[in-house]
Formats: sequence, C-alpha cells, structure tokens
Amino acid sequence: MRYRLPQPYQELPHTADLGLSTRGRSPEETLARLVLALAGLLSGGGGVAPGGEEVLLVREGADLARTAVGVLREVLFRFAARREIPWGCEVRSLAAGRAELVVGFGPYRPELHGEGRDVKAVTYHRARFEPDGGSWIAEVYLDV
Amino acid sequence: MERPSSPVKLRRLSDWLWEIPREGAMRVPGRIYADGPLAPDDPALRQVANVAHLPGIVKCSLAMPDIHWGYGFPIGGVAAVDLDRGAVSPGGVGYDINCGVRVVTTGVEAAEVRARRHEVTAELYRSIPTGVGSSDAIPRLSGEEMDAVLAEGASWALARGYAAASDLAHCEEEGRLPGADPSAVSDRARERGADQLGTLGSGNHFLEVDEVAEVYDAAAAETFGLRTGAAALQIHSGSRGLGYQVCDEALAELASSLGRYGPDYAALPDPQLACAPIDSAAGRRYLGAMQAAANFAWANRQVMTGLAVRALRRSLALSERELAAEVLYDVCHNVAKVEEHRVDGERRALLVHRKGATRAFGPGDPRVPEAYREVGQPVLIPGDMGRYSYVLAGTALAMDETFGSSCHGAGRLLSRHQALRAARGRSIHRELLDRGIEVISRGKKTLGEEMSEAYKDVARVVGVVERAGLSRLVARLTPIGVIKG
Repeated sequence: MRYRLPQPYQELPHTADLGLSTRGRSPEETLARLVLALAGLLSGGGGVAPGGEEVLLVREGADLARTAVGVLREVLFRFAARREIPWGCEVRSLAAGRAELVVGFGPYRPELHGEGRDVKAVTYHRARFEPDGGSWIAEVYLDV
Repeated sequence: MERPSSPVKLRRLSDWLWEIPREGAMRVPGRIYADGPLAPDDPALRQVANVAHLPGIVKCSLAMPDIHWGYGFPIGGVAAVDLDRGAVSPGGVGYDINCGVRVVTTGVEAAEVRARRHEVTAELYRSIPTGVGSSDAIPRLSGEEMDAVLAEGASWALARGYAAASDLAHCEEEGRLPGADPSAVSDRARERGADQLGTLGSGNHFLEVDEVAEVYDAAAAETFGLRTGAAALQIHSGSRGLGYQVCDEALAELASSLGRYGPDYAALPDPQLACAPIDSAAGRRYLGAMQAAANFAWANRQVMTGLAVRALRRSLALSERELAAEVLYDVCHNVAKVEEHRVDGERRALLVHRKGATRAFGPGDPRVPEAYREVGQPVLIPGDMGRYSYVLAGTALAMDETFGSSCHGAGRLLSRHQALRAARGRSIHRELLDRGIEVISRGKKTLGEEMSEAYKDVARVVGVVERAGLSRLVARLTPIGVIKG
C-alpha cells in the first residue's frame, strides 16, 4: 500500500461542522491523502491495525471534486455500518466520474479511537479538487 | 476563518425582521428574523437567497433567529413550496431527518433529583448508548422489524413496552408520518440503522434531567403539565445513521440529474440544493424514504424515553406512579411535511421544509393535540448544556407569517475549532459542576465543542420569536444532569 496513516491534512472550520483539505503532487496522491484524512478524523489520531484490502470502484460525479466526494461516501459507509477505518490507500486511476482505489481497512476500537468524530455525511458543499500552484488541492466538508 | 460569501442586500422591515429583496433568479424575497443588524457577507444569508431559487417556492425564503451556515439551506431555514408545481429538496430537511426534541414531565421534585444527581446521570449514561457509532440499546432489528419501525414510528415502541398510549398523542403527527415508504429505504440505510434504535448519537445531541425553573404563563404551563420546581426529561436526537444515509443517497442521485428537470433545476446556485419535482419518481421516492426515516427517529426518541424513564425509576427508587412521567410533546425540527396554509388569502396545500426550525401551530388548530388546542402547540427550544432551555407555545401570527414555524435552538456562535481553542486549559466538566450541572460525555472533545460559549444565548433567540409574535414563552428549564456523545 503506497500511502498509510498518518498523512498530512488540514481541518477547515465550518460553523457546526468541519472540512478536510489535502495536497499532493498528483491527483492520485491528493485523493489517497483525502481518504486517509477522513480515516484520521474517524480514528481520532489513534492507530489502525492493518486488516483486509478492498478495491473500491466509484462511478460518480461530473468533476473530480464530486468524484472525490463519492469516494469518501464509500469509505464513510464502511465505517458507519461495519466499523472499519482505512489504514492505507492507493489510487489506481482517477478521472472525473470514475475512481478506482485499493483501500486497506482495519477495525474501529473504542479504546483507541474514542476521540474520533461521528461523521454523519460527506457533502458537496464548496467541494474542490483542482491544481493549485505547482500541486493539487482537495477540500471537502463533512456534516458531523 | 470561514470564507465570507458575496454580500446580500438587506432591508430592515421591523426591529426584528430583515428582508433580502428579490433579485436575479430569486423567485421570492428572503426574510430573516434577528435580534440585531446582520452582516451582509454572512454565508448563511447567501443561503437564504439561494433557497429563494427553489422551483415552486411561495411567499418568501425564511430564516429564524438561530440561523447559521448550513449545507444548501441555512440552519434555521423554512421554505414552503407549492405541492403541485414545487420541488422537494433533501437539503431542506438535512442529513439528520426528523432530528427533534421531546420533553417528558414528571411528578418528582427537582430537589430530589439534585440530591442524587450523580447516580441519576450515571444511570442514564449506562442505559442509553451515546457517542460515535453508539449501538445496541435494544437487540438489532431484523428486516421485518425494521419495516415495522419505518412504517409505524413511535407506535412501534408502544407495542414493545417503551411507551404509554398518551405519549403518541403528544407527538407532532402522533409520531408517525403515514406517507412513509419502507421499500424506498435502501439496504445501506437499513444496515446503518439496524443496531441504532434507542441510541443518542453525538455532536449536539443530548439527554438531560432538568428543573422547571420558571413559569411565565401559568395557565399554559398548567395545561402542558409544567410545575415550577418539578423535574423533567429532555431528549434531543434524530434518525441516526439511517436518516443520514437516506439524505446522502438522495442528494447524490439528485445532484447528478438536475438537468433532467429543466433549466430552473439545472441553474440552482448550490449543488447541496439538489431537488426534484414533488410529483416525479425521484421526488416521490425521496419523500417516501424521508418519511420512513422520520418514523425511525420518532421510534428512536420513544425507545430512549422508555429507557430513560426506567433509569430514573431505578436511580431514584420510584414506582411508575411515583415518577408519573408523561410526554409533554415531541417536535421535529428537520423535516418536510405536507401542510395547508393561507397564502395571499387562499388556502393552499404546501410542502413545508423546516431545516433547523420548529413547527409552532397556534391555538385552535386541529393539528394541535386536543389537550393543548386552546393554548397552542408546545414549541420545545433547547439551549446549551450549561444554561437553559425553553418551552413556548405556537401563535396565530406564526400561521400567517412563517407557515407556523419558530426557531429550533440556540444556534452555534463558534465553530468547533474556535470552541476547542476557547476551552483549552479549562475543565468544562468542573466549571459545570460548580454551577450544579453534572455532565457525562463519551468524547473528551465534546465538552469543549459543546460548551455554553460555543452557542448563542438561547434566551436572546426565543426573545426574538416572542417579540415577533411567532411563539410565546411558557416556561424555562435548567439542566441538572446531562449525558452527551
């Protein structure tokens, strides 16, 4: 797995909620970091024991930003329904409307992840995924 | 800092009401109730203007005095659309479908609870799962049971011993929306909700034991069963992961297909306003699923009520008769419902979206429970965990001005980041204890994020709706013991 927890990300303020921002040298790196930023938020910074890997194929969104939202929606569902948190991520391909990733998931453990966020949903609100200077930037807001 | 939005034009209509005049593709003006001058570049005001673009919206895009920046709709937003020509917007309901509040009165003195404050709060905390992914308050629902919850709402809990018959009569819509379509609720939403019935969740959700600290309207308070010095329960929660998933899926579907409904839909200024004609397959599907999720939320609050009442009885060693717990009322503040209202002198069937706004029907309305009809509908407005909450009553003026709507809470003042910074180096738990309030929360950050200073003073918020004549004050509740996620 090319990218593993922890990866650099920034939290963005929103009155009652918050956003995530990641940067990368390529769109693939930026998206992988975005997935692991969500994992960092869900785990509250606690380590995630590596478990099985899953290929996620997302066909959603008219642009990269909405496709990234679609990817995070998939990751969040696995957390919400199955209590699984990503520990690693590799983006095989990414284009507007289509993303293929390999994501490694590990179990949520209350004793390690007690400071994690209970994220309700990933929103389209001010979603960005675009070149910025010499790199790429992604921003996505979450309902918490 | 949050990024400001392009400023809106504002016109003062009265001491408490501002208007965003109609411009561009806005179909109606915006109207905002507030207790002071507004900042034109507040992004929540831009959202009020954006909502005014919704197809079929009538009269105005409204915001209550607890308005703050949301997703698509502002929190505190109200939009009514024509039932035949209008659009239903999942963003106008929000992710936590039928998030709401209920107050349960008791025959016990608050002093008795205060004397055993820790035991009472700890027993509530043990009995009702809170926090991230909280689950297993009751056995996981089978597919058939889930269908029954989605169709029956609070009455599902009655049949299983978590409610008294009178509880249902004291819920908005009697705790069940009949248009629910369980088959429209996806497998994923069911999976998220199957083990979450009877759980509180996290964020601003809470369950607390309060004291009826002050009565402003003795006759209304007596009708509502509120007595100064008595203890009451207050619950704030919603449809948990099931509702979030219903909204999430509907938004994803609609955001990608707006163009199919014509240029008015394609030109909406924010993808979070994604919507569909009410009378379209997608619109009907969302409405069926949303109403089913609303029923799940009512069942959730009802099961928590049953669990909390048992916890109170155990911790105070009281019989059912001695505790004398009765649901005062249960309101939803994130929902869209078909209602009849008078618009320009004519009765019209509308779909009223309330996103962080409370129904507040006035005296004499047949949709208000018979026991309260002379007074008006109870309007339950929670504050922050360190100060107070209010019980109000709906008014005839609200029926004319706001489609029978009022505020829903204090409204956030600080972002979560700002609140955590302000809490650094302090023990919020100790500060609250010093003020006679015991709080037990699962997450360490929760107390900082949810501290009083993070919220507007709810007294100022209800002061606006009272001065504006949208609701009238009945009583104030103050917290004794609070549990949070």
